[in-house]
Amino acid sequence: MSRFQAKTNAVLDAELDGLRQQLGLRANQKADLLRELTTLAAWVVRQAAEGRAVVARGEDDVRELEHPVIERLRQRHRHAIAQPTRLELDDDETRRLGEILDGGFHPSRALLASLGRLADPKRKAPDLTWPDPSA
Amino acid sequence: MSTPRIETLARKHRALLRGFRNQEASLEEYLPRFALRHAEKDLLSRTYVALTQEGGVDRIAGYFSLATVSVERASVEEIPALSKLPKFPIPGVLLARLAVDTRVQGQGLGRHLFEEALGFTLSLATSGPVAFRLFVTDAVSEDAVRFYERFGLSRLSKALPARMVLDLEPLLG
Repeated sequence: MSRFQAKTNAVLDAELDGLRQQLGLRANQKADLLRELTTLAAWVVRQAAEGRAVVARGEDDVRELEHPVIERLRQRHRHAIAQPTRLELDDDETRRLGEILDGGFHPSRALLASLGRLADPKRKAPDLTWPDPSA
Repeated sequence: MSTPRIETLARKHRALLRGFRNQEASLEEYLPRFALRHAEKDLLSRTYVALTQEGGVDRIAGYFSLATVSVERASVEEIPALSKLPKFPIPGVLLARLAVDTRVQGQGLGRHLFEEALGFTLSLATSGPVAFRLFVTDAVSEDAVRFYERFGLSRLSKALPARMVLDLEPLLG
């Protein structure tokens, strides 16, 4: 398993330097390093967003990339297939929804009245008057 | 004066669709251009029309459309404060459109159509074969926002169309 671990800055710096060397880049080519890593990361994220697992296949073993973001992206894709009408909330809308769902039940008078009318078997639509077209 | 009856939109109503008038162009155009296709071909939503009859002639006084909806987050970043929220996506019923002909507005039909939509939704949530939590709509104007707020829907976004929700859980006990 190649689960990502929380790492100190020094460890990350060393890993970044190792990657630079593996990619054949010099110490003064940080912009090139960023470009290469972005290309690789974008491919991984795109695969996950399309619902695919990212695996490393060896001679006689297969290791799957595991990461919380990768799993959430794959899960979102699975649900997107099952649910044709999707409504996406941004972070502010999500926080507001959290407040609403967590805020308890305080029905408005109009809602209570509507629920009362819905329970009434004699409920009917209001009579309508259309304007006289000749007026 | 006539009392409207509610019918599921079908091909027999086709000749009436262009006679509907509303101040919001998108709500007026939806009936003749998309409503039947969404209901019969694409299976995206179902539309219900309020019909009145005067002098033997039917007219569409108002309508609403319902669809299923999956409420999801645009971002996958965790918000720790919301860890108690139900897991996304949250299923719901979307009141995709609700409109009353401009010539019969102010006579209570909008409220009646809203109640019909809520009644269908509660009936499905209570005894239908599926479970869901939210009643959702997108209000196209500030007037529409005020209309839905009266019935307990809460606004999620400041922009228009304003996304609004009603938590059905307390209504299902």
